[in-house]
Amino acid sequence: MTNHWIDLKNADVVLVMGGNPAENHPISMKWIMKAREKGGKLIVVDPRFTRTAAKADLYAPLRSGTDIAFLGGMIKYILDKNLYFKEYVANYTNAAYLVNPDFRMPGQLNGVFSGYDGKARKYDKKTWSFQMDDKGLPKKDMTLKDPNCVFQLLRKHYSRYTLDMVSDITGTPKEKLVEVYKLFGSTGKANRVGTECYAMGWTQHTVGTQNIRAMSIIQLLLGNIGMAGGGINALRGESNVQGSTDHGLLFHILPGYVPVPSAALPDLKAYNEKFTPKTKDPKSVNWWGNRPKYITSYLKAIYGTSATKDNDFGYAWLPKIDEGMNASWLMLFDQMFKGKFEGFFAWGQNPACSGANANKTRKALAKLKWMVNVNLFENETGSFWKGPGINPKDIQTEVFMLPCASSVEKEGSITNSGRWAQWRYAAIPPIGQSKPDTEIIHELYKRVKKLYQTKGGKFPAPITNLTWNYKSKGREIDTHLIAREINGYYLEDIFDAKDATKQLGKKGELCTNFVTLQADGRTSSGNWIYGGSYTHKEGKIINMMARRGKADPTGLGLFPEWSFSWPVNRRIIYNRAAVDQQGRPWDPKRAIIKWNPDKLDPKTKKTAPGWEGDVPDGPAPPMADEKAGKYPFIMRADGMGSIFGPGLADGPFPEHYEALECPIQENLLSKTKINPAIKLFHDGKTGAPEDIYYSCDTRYPYVATTYRMTEHWQTGIMTRNIPWLLEMVPQQYVEISKELAAEKKIVNGERLKVSSARGELTAVAFVTGRFKPFKIGGSTVHQVGMPWCFGWFTPKDGGESANLLTSTIGDANTMIPETKAFMVNVEKV
Amino acid sequence: MATNTATEKTMPDQSAKKMEASFLIDTTKCIGCRGCQVACKQWNGNQTDPTKASPTFTNPLKLNSKTYTNIAFFEREQNGAVSWDFARNGCFHCKKPACVSVCPVEALVKTPEGPVIYREGRCMGCRYCILACPFNVPKYEWEKLAPKVQKCTFCYDRLLAGMLPSCAKSCPTGTIHFSDSIEKNLAEAKKRIAEHPGMYVNHIYGEKEAGGTSVMLLSALPLDQLGHLKVRDQVLPDLTWKYIGGIPAIIGVVLAAGIGSWVITRRNQNMDKEGDE
Repeated sequence: MTNHWIDLKNADVVLVMGGNPAENHPISMKWIMKAREKGGKLIVVDPRFTRTAAKADLYAPLRSGTDIAFLGGMIKYILDKNLYFKEYVANYTNAAYLVNPDFRMPGQLNGVFSGYDGKARKYDKKTWSFQMDDKGLPKKDMTLKDPNCVFQLLRKHYSRYTLDMVSDITGTPKEKLVEVYKLFGSTGKANRVGTECYAMGWTQHTVGTQNIRAMSIIQLLLGNIGMAGGGINALRGESNVQGSTDHGLLFHILPGYVPVPSAALPDLKAYNEKFTPKTKDPKSVNWWGNRPKYITSYLKAIYGTSATKDNDFGYAWLPKIDEGMNASWLMLFDQMFKGKFEGFFAWGQNPACSGANANKTRKALAKLKWMVNVNLFENETGSFWKGPGINPKDIQTEVFMLPCASSVEKEGSITNSGRWAQWRYAAIPPIGQSKPDTEIIHELYKRVKKLYQTKGGKFPAPITNLTWNYKSKGREIDTHLIAREINGYYLEDIFDAKDATKQLGKKGELCTNFVTLQADGRTSSGNWIYGGSYTHKEGKIINMMARRGKADPTGLGLFPEWSFSWPVNRRIIYNRAAVDQQGRPWDPKRAIIKWNPDKLDPKTKKTAPGWEGDVPDGPAPPMADEKAGKYPFIMRADGMGSIFGPGLADGPFPEHYEALECPIQENLLSKTKINPAIKLFHDGKTGAPEDIYYSCDTRYPYVATTYRMTEHWQTGIMTRNIPWLLEMVPQQYVEISKELAAEKKIVNGERLKVSSARGELTAVAFVTGRFKPFKIGGSTVHQVGMPWCFGWFTPKDGGESANLLTSTIGDANTMIPETKAFMVNVEKV
Repeated sequence: MATNTATEKTMPDQSAKKMEASFLIDTTKCIGCRGCQVACKQWNGNQTDPTKASPTFTNPLKLNSKTYTNIAFFEREQNGAVSWDFARNGCFHCKKPACVSVCPVEALVKTPEGPVIYREGRCMGCRYCILACPFNVPKYEWEKLAPKVQKCTFCYDRLLAGMLPSCAKSCPTGTIHFSDSIEKNLAEAKKRIAEHPGMYVNHIYGEKEAGGTSVMLLSALPLDQLGHLKVRDQVLPDLTWKYIGGIPAIIGVVLAAGIGSWVITRRNQNMDKEGDE
């Protein structure tokens, strides 16, 4: 989330699209309902009328996988009707930048951008660039009229997304499109703010990243980023998935969104050269210019005294990926399926049900020599060897079950979607032989290290040099010491580089924040963005995450003394965009920050101009200040919000492409049917049969999607084991429209077979008016949907995972599987 | 005013002031998450029944001896537009409860704090309470050897300990609004109707039904469209007493019938059990 949960209450319009907060984030509805009580409006755009839609002021249906068409139409509407926030767009985004004159767009090139290589399914992004002046800064036209400026290219690109075209693609009635566009477009005024909530309904598509990009463009056009009640908010599906992403869970990032090094970068210098963005614009903060400080401090945290300047702080010990290598979920399981892995830790997960194309995933597990299943409960993954259609005699995989403690049985931090790291205490000791994850990892570490020490190995240094200073007062592993290592320490006395008398840090103390981190090995920090989460204040050690202060000085629900919000306790990121160039709030009623030229220093009682409100995105004076003013988007090298986004694999502007499996012969918008930059596991002719897909095929005529619901969580491992929850939703079901039911003579409550090119399952028919057929390009298209929380292991007649049906295909940028749009058949059993 | 958003520490001090527990349930705020349904079962340690997938989502379909509260789902279509409404079922804790008045052995009592509670040691299993309740709330444990009558207790145990009832505590949107005064909740209900024209039907269900109840409902739809029975305004025990008062001899018959019924039920249960074995 750019903002945070409570901030939803500050919105005038809440657009829920790609998410279902009432069912999957019920507590968030407390704040959405508060916004409504104050006259705010809730819009829900979803293929299905959900429990969130039940509370909406405006509901619009759309066919799964057509969000970019829907949002592209909104961009066109906002531009055509002059609803955008001109001052914001011109000064805070790259709308005025002039683009390379050789750049071409899908309207000109049959659906692709310039630079496309069809064989490699990749773009050469050379033309996706800006024209530079002699100072090395992008050329601008502040009137936004130059035909090559970003703003005019945006207008041109989305001129193709007419109401007729969008309605034909999405199936959304035209009058509903206009209603949504008009209502959300009303937030382009300084005193109106709109926010967006999304979840896996946007990410799990082959165009997932671009779905979110399209909304980011809208929020920049309307001046909603940085504002209280604005932003673009990912509702994270697990209580701590934000924390795990922050701490480097994904294959391509180390803790703190620091890139994983590749083998092509032999030393720290090459690494820093590649990953440290540069700018020649003195008004741009370019925060990632600090990257060398963060990687060095990280290395110092994990390798301690073994990391020295002479050995490049142990950079060589970091695991490297090959240049261009992708080690995301789909790729890992593809490699496992091909027999490339010996062992696997399934830690707190249930891939046999959660992974897309679960049949392939289950086959992949059978190729392993060993698997360790770390979980609260036995599940379909640990028991895959006795699953449906499998003869245990044929399986050689040795499976170990390690029972682990639940969240209430261990102490530590949980970071919620709003970036609040909140400390939790153990309510009860772990039951039976179960252990907290940290203790299991600790045991593993001890044993692996001992093996390296006694028996040697190819590359022992990364393990033998690890710091592991977590022992305290009779505890083998103390979570507090891990949290302190994450925050980081001053390893030497640190003085201000400009003023040697000013001490910034005292040797041995916890770092105040990441601003004082150094690139020369004098500081450590396990995760720079958590700098300040566990710190020394006036000689005392304070766990900022454990704070429970209820003060709300701005009245906007920031609660700055409650827990710790990264970065530096900032509650709304990009908040410098919430004020004009003089530092005055766009909307004084929602003054998230404001510049006070008469501010008094509480200690000296002298005037010291500064910001008030939330922790600003940097202390620099407002942008208009000629000497020291800074641009608002400090994480971008140029300081501007990116309406033109040349960094992505599939284009600088989002373009509509159909899902890999879709119900129509052609993309109505262009000759390019599917995202041209996605990796195909099966090219339609060759590939593993498990990876097969069928588009516009009469055998699988219905669009399908998967989802969660309130009563069950993820694959249901915890909830299927709780009778109170199972009683409410005991079996796999498939929701179908009354029209489809009538066509197929399906009766409410009967068992149906749902099948795709890759698998099948039985489900109870829920015939409902909450799904309606779509009119797509003149023909009727039916959509069905089902939850993915069931599995064969328990309960006995609960049904199977909906992921038996989903395909092996991922987003062009993230490789997140496309489980939200695929094709199935539905038949009476 | 004690509200759900306030902490439990703001609950009234029992010794200082008489509590009159009350819920204002505003169905327009309900998101159908069923947190209340689960929290109720959890607090009361209630078991579950095996259920089947329910296409309406309501599950269990009705209140039963293990389910004191549930959410009923109502899907409707009008002029091509679908709507989905959620309504909570449970005991209304009448000001003058019919169940209490018909109970010959005072197994059901109206507590001074408002909740209507059941004292199992006294019950002889006549089940008059079940027949008498205009809201069809109390349920009987037919499946048990020593059956009890079961229904919502208003979390009387929690109230006495200064805690919010578990359903109200779990409700994320403030649909179940607790107050220590029926009058306060009534005023709140009237305020909401006045402040949001067109949002609610102009009817506070429970203000007058059965002579007034501790639990009151606000809704955008007539409550009978959300599964709530049309209940007349008259205080039901007044009716009962007129009737019973007129024919005092009946009381003896009622008692005898009650005991007889209890004996027969016990015997049937025993026989059923033997049959199972």
